Amino acid sequence: MQDLINIGVKSIFIDNMIFAYFLGMCSYLAVSKKVSTAIGLGAAVIFVLGITIPLNWLVYNYFLKPGAMTWTGIEELATADLSFIGLIIYISVIASFVQLTEMVVEKLSPALYAALGIFLPLIAVNCSILGGALFMIGRPYNLAEATTFGLGSGIGWFLAVVALAAIREKLKYSHVPAPLRGLGITFIIVGLMSFGFLSFMGFSIN
Amino acid sequence: MKFLRDAFDKARPNFSEGGKFAFLHSVFDGFETFMFVPGHATHSKVHVRDGIDMKRTMITVVVAMLPVLLFGIWNVGYQHFLATGEGESMMEQVITGLIQVLPIIVVSYGVGLGIEFYFAQRRGHPINEGFLVSGLLIPLILPPTIPLWMVALGTAFAVIIGKEVFGGSGMNLLNPALTARVFLFFAYPAYMSGEFLSNGDAVWFLGNREALVDGFTGATSLSQIAAGVDIQYSVWDMFMGFEKGSIGETSVLATLIGAFILIISGIGSWKIMSSVFVGGFLMGTVFNMIGGTPFLEMPAYYHLLIGGFAFGAVYMATDPVSAAQTETGKIIYGLLIGVMTVLIRVANPAYPEGMMMAILLMNVFAPTIDYFVVESNKKRRLKRATV
Repeated sequence: MQDLINIGVKSIFIDNMIFAYFLGMCSYLAVSKKVSTAIGLGAAVIFVLGITIPLNWLVYNYFLKPGAMTWTGIEELATADLSFIGLIIYISVIASFVQLTEMVVEKLSPALYAALGIFLPLIAVNCSILGGALFMIGRPYNLAEATTFGLGSGIGWFLAVVALAAIREKLKYSHVPAPLRGLGITFIIVGLMSFGFLSFMGFSIN
Repeated sequence: MKFLRDAFDKARPNFSEGGKFAFLHSVFDGFETFMFVPGHATHSKVHVRDGIDMKRTMITVVVAMLPVLLFGIWNVGYQHFLATGEGESMMEQVITGLIQVLPIIVVSYGVGLGIEFYFAQRRGHPINEGFLVSGLLIPLILPPTIPLWMVALGTAFAVIIGKEVFGGSGMNLLNPALTARVFLFFAYPAYMSGEFLSNGDAVWFLGNREALVDGFTGATSLSQIAAGVDIQYSVWDMFMGFEKGSIGETSVLATLIGAFILIISGIGSWKIMSSVFVGGFLMGTVFNMIGGTPFLEMPAYYHLLIGGFAFGAVYMATDPVSAAQTETGKIIYGLLIGVMTVLIRVANPAYPEGMMMAILLMNVFAPTIDYFVVESNKKRRLKRATV
């Protein structure tokens, strides 16, 4: 349990996808102009990360890893090492899952579908999703830990994008020097925000 | 006063449009309004409810900081002589303190106001008074032994990146004084924790290390408890401030006097101040119940007395620009600062003090808190309206 809490805190605050790894920056900067859309996209990222990381964990541990397919009982497969096609497989898992979600959401809740609009398909190419999958492969997580890591990374991204959107909404009223308006000042804000997130560096629960 | 008025009136044409020094208009304006109450009136409909303006607000905060500053100056000298074991008289202690603290204040004001003036000229806005407060806060949250060039560097970073790029006073995202401190903290960690003189243990000592008395330890109360040792200061000492630490942070009593001035004049938010204390106390109590290590078992009220907790709650968290703006938001913001401070102190061995990081983190989330408070208000009122 303590491990899970540590992984959760670590992935939300310390190894934050935005502030520590600069992943998912493009949609982070593009979709943070309004809080309401930021919440929509953030929630979608939590959802997709929380599902695809455990999915990719299963794919890796039961199909791709060297010796992963011993469970089939076939000798040729038991020694196979398929990790070289990992990248393609992960992204297909992510893309097909996002497509599936899109169809389900469209069928069940047209209102939510309209609200999310283009963001849902965009998530398939959000680098934090693929980045999350690759980090998960590199670390010795079990299934529960991988799920926590996925959800935590998503929540970290959500918090970052909502906070940035709220700041940018407030910033509409300020007199920013002309050359810095738009993306320039946003980069400075993100830099200052990461000071706040440094609070958790070295955090541990014993 | 008449001759001053005349001097200003005589000089005005030079600084108005078309005059020789028209580009220095805001400097003139700044000095004039510093000396006299400005005669400007609002151009649109009347909306003045009170005679208060930015200058009076800022000066009130400076006045509220004076008890802390004066105590800090004396304490720097007192701690120095405690370390060397000589120099008993109060006068000597104050003078030693002044010699150490005054240059830091001069550098902070000089660099900060210089940059403010430059930006005011370039961008054609009046000079912001906000730096009068930040320029005094910066020295108060730095260790007395800090080199002066670091003070200048931190101040410049805070004023330019922390404030001017957002369009000057009233627009900054983070508290400017804390921006300066956090920048120095991560750039020069050893200097900021007072360790640079020695072989590992923190020393708040000015000058020659050979002169130290035997058995003198330079640890602050926070570094003692973080190292697992019992705090060597009594509760009374910690309340009064007879301990080591950054210049202004040690005395809870002086801070409370400042808090009183801020609350009476209506400038500092009592909601933020009290909720920070409540949040810190609650979290301390929760940790007491868990128990286990000396830090977890430390009485909850100790957290409110040691380090910069009181100082941060009264002068830093209440910064009207970077704090939450809504009334409910202020309480949430304050509570979270208190909780986070104690959490960082206890659970994060990387930082002995959590106040600075907790306030910065909540500065980042203050607009978010405001957004949700406003949204929930809207929702509630809409419900009422549709009946």
